[in-house]
Amino acid sequence: MKQITLLLILSSSLSVFSQNNVALMSDDSSRSIELREIQVISKERTDRQRMLHFYRANQSASLEDILSRLPELSLIRRGTYGMEPSIRSLSGGQINVLVDGMRIHGACTDKMDPATIYIEPVNLEQLQLQTGSQGFVYGSATGGTVNLITASPVCHPDQKLHGLISSGFQTAAKSLHEALQLNYNTGNWSILGSATWRKSDTYRSGGGEKIAFSQYEKLNYSLAASYQLNQHTRIKADYIGDNGWNIGYPALPMDVGYAVARIGSLGIQHTAAGKRLYKWQAKLYANQVRHYMDDTHRPNVPIHMDMPGRSMTAGFTAEGAMRINRKQQLRLVADASTTRLTASMTMYEAGQPPMYMLTWPDNRKDQYGAGISWTCQADSNWLLQSALRLDYIHTGLTTQAAKDHISILGVTDAARNELLKNLSFTGTRKLNDRLKASASVAYAERMPTATELYGFYLFNAQDGYDYLGNPGLLPEQSLQGEISLQTNGKKARLKFTAFYNHIRHFISGSVNQSFSTMTIGANGVKNFSALPFANLAGLESSLLYKPIAAIDIVSTLRYTNGKDNTGDPLPMIAPLKNTSTVRYQFSHFFLQLETEAASAQTEISGKYGEDKTNGYLLLHARSGCQFLLAGKKTDLQLGVENIFDKSYHEHLDWGNIKRPGRNGYLMIRLSF
Amino acid sequence: MKKSVCLLVTVFVLCILAFLVSCTKDKTEPNPTEGLTKLSEGYAIGAAAKVEVYTKETSLITGYTKFYIALYDSVSGKRIDDAHIQLNPMMDMGMMQHSAPFENPASTEAVNHLFPCSVTFIMSSMGGTWTLDIDVHNHVNDKEGSITLPLTIAEPTASRQKSFTAVHNGAKYFISLISPTASTSKVGINDMEIAIYKKASMMSWPADSSLSVVLTPEMPTMGHGSPNNVNPVHTGNGHYKGKVNFTMTGLWRLNLDFMSGTAVADTTQFFDVTF
Repeated sequence: MKQITLLLILSSSLSVFSQNNVALMSDDSSRSIELREIQVISKERTDRQRMLHFYRANQSASLEDILSRLPELSLIRRGTYGMEPSIRSLSGGQINVLVDGMRIHGACTDKMDPATIYIEPVNLEQLQLQTGSQGFVYGSATGGTVNLITASPVCHPDQKLHGLISSGFQTAAKSLHEALQLNYNTGNWSILGSATWRKSDTYRSGGGEKIAFSQYEKLNYSLAASYQLNQHTRIKADYIGDNGWNIGYPALPMDVGYAVARIGSLGIQHTAAGKRLYKWQAKLYANQVRHYMDDTHRPNVPIHMDMPGRSMTAGFTAEGAMRINRKQQLRLVADASTTRLTASMTMYEAGQPPMYMLTWPDNRKDQYGAGISWTCQADSNWLLQSALRLDYIHTGLTTQAAKDHISILGVTDAARNELLKNLSFTGTRKLNDRLKASASVAYAERMPTATELYGFYLFNAQDGYDYLGNPGLLPEQSLQGEISLQTNGKKARLKFTAFYNHIRHFISGSVNQSFSTMTIGANGVKNFSALPFANLAGLESSLLYKPIAAIDIVSTLRYTNGKDNTGDPLPMIAPLKNTSTVRYQFSHFFLQLETEAASAQTEISGKYGEDKTNGYLLLHARSGCQFLLAGKKTDLQLGVENIFDKSYHEHLDWGNIKRPGRNGYLMIRLSF
Repeated sequence: MKKSVCLLVTVFVLCILAFLVSCTKDKTEPNPTEGLTKLSEGYAIGAAAKVEVYTKETSLITGYTKFYIALYDSVSGKRIDDAHIQLNPMMDMGMMQHSAPFENPASTEAVNHLFPCSVTFIMSSMGGTWTLDIDVHNHVNDKEGSITLPLTIAEPTASRQKSFTAVHNGAKYFISLISPTASTSKVGINDMEIAIYKKASMMSWPADSSLSVVLTPEMPTMGHGSPNNVNPVHTGNGHYKGKVNFTMTGLWRLNLDFMSGTAVADTTQFFDVTF
């Protein structure tokens, strides 16, 4: 009784909505167990899931291709590989990038290894993207959360072994993409294994120029095993390994010699439809990432250097969904994690001892958090939601050498303890059968990152400054609001969203004239410091239109404007962008035309060394067919991207490195 | 019942005491010359004292050199902890002789049985012969005597001893880098200490406190410096103390500008430290 009262006080159902969504989604895939999880979040996922599903139909697409088409997401590009996701222009420590709810910290001081690189589309079951009012439930963040849900092994009673094999080729980079997935089940056991190998040469940009240092090669493999304990409970173990090597970063002064990630977890999932706590899961996990930057292939290197980095994270997550009554539902999240980071740089000059420094002085971050999200279907027209999360975070330096490094900056005690608070309210009102409006307001905080707190002469190739951490930085505080209007017609679904984000203590870099640069050729030294505030405002709209059964039209539009406290534009803000796709499906064939258009970006941040970016219009054509080959379902897809061989780059591309030109691709996939 | 508890407690307390006693017994007095190298030894004839000279380094190089002198009664072998010691370093270059800056022990009382003192060797033995006279006034028996030790001073690859003729007054100044050394340097904040002596005559090298020092460290290979250094300031006896920050390992050049008030004395000096 006590328990129930407590929970009631804490707050309180998605039931109506979630069930709707389950119904909506379950036709998409047989893996409805996993899909159902997403539905707990909110109705608005539906359109996003539809879009994801739509874009995933292009089987040669990388995860990044899929991500970049979502209106809320942009990608910051430093190379062909390892693009960093940005939600509504917020990235890095401002957002959570999770894999199955696990925290994975990159081991690269230059952010070459966002956690998104460890998941191949073949292994991606779902993608949860939460913004605004729900963006912090899995971790204090001002920008939102991307959670990549990996594929789970499935039980086919009549098919012990099934899987798929696929092979693809792309002309722009002469790249190969081979994937294999096997699912085996026997008794209560089911096992899913996958392996993906990608090898890409340097690509040619529009106009035919070869982009040097754009090659990469990687092998990704995963193994998931699940054991059904009983009707309601199963135990699941997951392992993902990812090895990348010879990865070029044309926009950076260094490449990656090799990068290795090892991600493991052991979890339990329980579903009990009739119970109050109808679903819960818990997981223990650990991961390690090692990253070695390399400049041995670069010409005219003033001084050769090694830059290895390592991150280790271990943690625990638990999540439950609870029905309070017919109208109210709760989602409960609790998690804890500890991350240790270290990165160093060693420079070599003939006839001298090596020059060694810690660029991420050994540090750790311990995080303990709990979140609760309450949904109430007040009546047939009103849906109320609220979310709350608290995080206690401790960060500090772990070795004397690390402390000695940071002491140079005049800091005697670099340890930090913070309690981060996040709270949001959302109201959704059904105006009529076709129109729905929703408004939300949220307050969120985020911890400064290890780079921002403890970074030691980290060179930023975008603005050409060496950055120094500031252990005294306050958490960023965000006050954000969002309104959206959604029409659900029989043939068309149109959604329009406007958001506003006011961020206090906005972490930025300020030039320190008195310090001398460490990196040869750098423009100067910047200290991480907080601007009093910065504002972001933007619009997103998406259209899903099905004029006739054979035709699908998907179009998204987005625009963001960011200003700092002095009214200067913020850096890394994508311009107005539209992606429109028409797909014509007849029998087992489809034809698809896609346009990507971006306006010029003239709202630029001179302080960050940005320059104007021209607009562009791209046209892609895709086609595919499905047939039986030796009795097996086979998909064949071919297409041409950037048909006009347009020479262009996006505003978020570092170093104005041109994007690939005309790119033909061929992909074949055999399911068995 | 009570009795047995009392007994147990007593036994327990006794055990602890025994443990503590055995602990203190184990603590034999540490050897005062632990970690030091014996450079030379001999007898100060007349003072009835055996003289042992220790240094921190295993060999002598030009620059500020700290000596630790241990005295023993030449008959009984007992330590002498009360004596007045007077140094007199001398360089014999054949045609001429000159002394060098030095620091006698600050007190007649030994510090941990040793008399710390220093000599600043302003040149190596390449140019002549270094000797060090040690005059001992043994306060135990009130006798005086002296010993002359020949010393070999090498020139290190990275000099820790520099000199310049000051622009503002034409006087010759000798500067020694005391710390940091290659072995004590770390990435982080390092204690910086130099000693400045003025050449008054061939035989007189007094400590100087009149100059101010501006420290600018740099990595010549990379062309960068380091932030938040503290200029060495005079703390007594010609010693100037400050802080030097190294942001990475490797070769660091400590550029030093010397000023006399607002007048420039010299801006050409530096010390290289590699770690």
